[in-house]
Amino acid sequence: MIERVKTDMGGAAAALDYDAELMLRVKDGDSASFGVLLDKHRASVVHFLYRMVQNHAVAEELAQEVFLRVYRSRESYEPTARFTTWLFRIATHLALNSLRDGKNERRQERLDDGPADAPAREVSDRRPSVEQNLLYQARLEEIRTAIAMLPEKQRAAVLMHKYDEMEYSQIARVLSCSESAVKSLLFRAYETLRARLAHMA
Amino acid sequence: MRCPIETQETAELLLAYSARKLDADTAAGLEQHLRLCPACREFAEGQRLVWEALDAWESVPVSPDFDRRLYARIDREVSWWQRVARPFRPMLLRSGLPVAAAACLLVMVGIALERPGSMPDIPVPQPPGVEAVQPDQVENALEDIELLGEFHRKVGADMSRARM
Repeated sequence: MIERVKTDMGGAAAALDYDAELMLRVKDGDSASFGVLLDKHRASVVHFLYRMVQNHAVAEELAQEVFLRVYRSRESYEPTARFTTWLFRIATHLALNSLRDGKNERRQERLDDGPADAPAREVSDRRPSVEQNLLYQARLEEIRTAIAMLPEKQRAAVLMHKYDEMEYSQIARVLSCSESAVKSLLFRAYETLRARLAHMA
Repeated sequence: MRCPIETQETAELLLAYSARKLDADTAAGLEQHLRLCPACREFAEGQRLVWEALDAWESVPVSPDFDRRLYARIDREVSWWQRVARPFRPMLLRSGLPVAAAACLLVMVGIALERPGSMPDIPVPQPPGVEAVQPDQVENALEDIELLGEFHRKVGADMSRARM
């Protein structure tokens, strides 16, 4: 199986793509491997989508669709790229469509609002004062707004670069553009963010 | 080191530096440059602030029933055919090929019986020497026979008058 992944993808990085190997097992009918992939990538996909659309319910709905599409495509799956590239390409595509459709318009949640059934966040013993909390929320709101105001592709590139620590080449493959285009997207996006968030220093 | 701000190609160095993705040697070289270059220092400081601000943005946890909902959707994806075929699956697995062949045969017979008009016409063999004639040919032949009869009658009448 590993040989199959190596041959199909080429390169050392691809050879290490255990996820592609798991997906090939799913293709061969091993549904337990799908569970492993879900465990491994559930959080990163949901968080990426949440930061893209800034609505938890919509993000989870889209994440469900991402994994559903992965499952549906199992029989035709070929490890031509890293599994996460494929996964985030689906996620980005769905997020951009959702933003363009305006599905989550006027449904933005406040940053401190989790889903109704989400597990409560852990609260440390040293609880911040009400004033500190308000300040913190105001800062987060500014960050969220600054990200939301970025053009869609710049936003996706920044989120993948910052939170998923993807290389330029992988972001390029997800966004179906050149590596130099990704560098340009990121450079412009961070420039905008530096200007918008400079006063937070 | 050339100034990353002046050379766009290496501007990503500063982004990588802020993301702490540079190796130790490159980071040390860049830090030396930052001490001398106010523009790059400002860039790096601004980028560090952005990085820290983004660090503060935590995502909300995933709902505990996420997997349950996903697997329910996957289960619904099972097609109607799979649902219908499920009770017969062991039988199909045991004798799949003969059953499939019999089913195909039944379907073909059913189609043939359902559409008799679609069966190809079987040509009726004709005896050799008999040619097919067209309606106008028959009509002309009848007219010729009629004219010939009339001619015979007139000739007969003339002959009897001559004998008299």
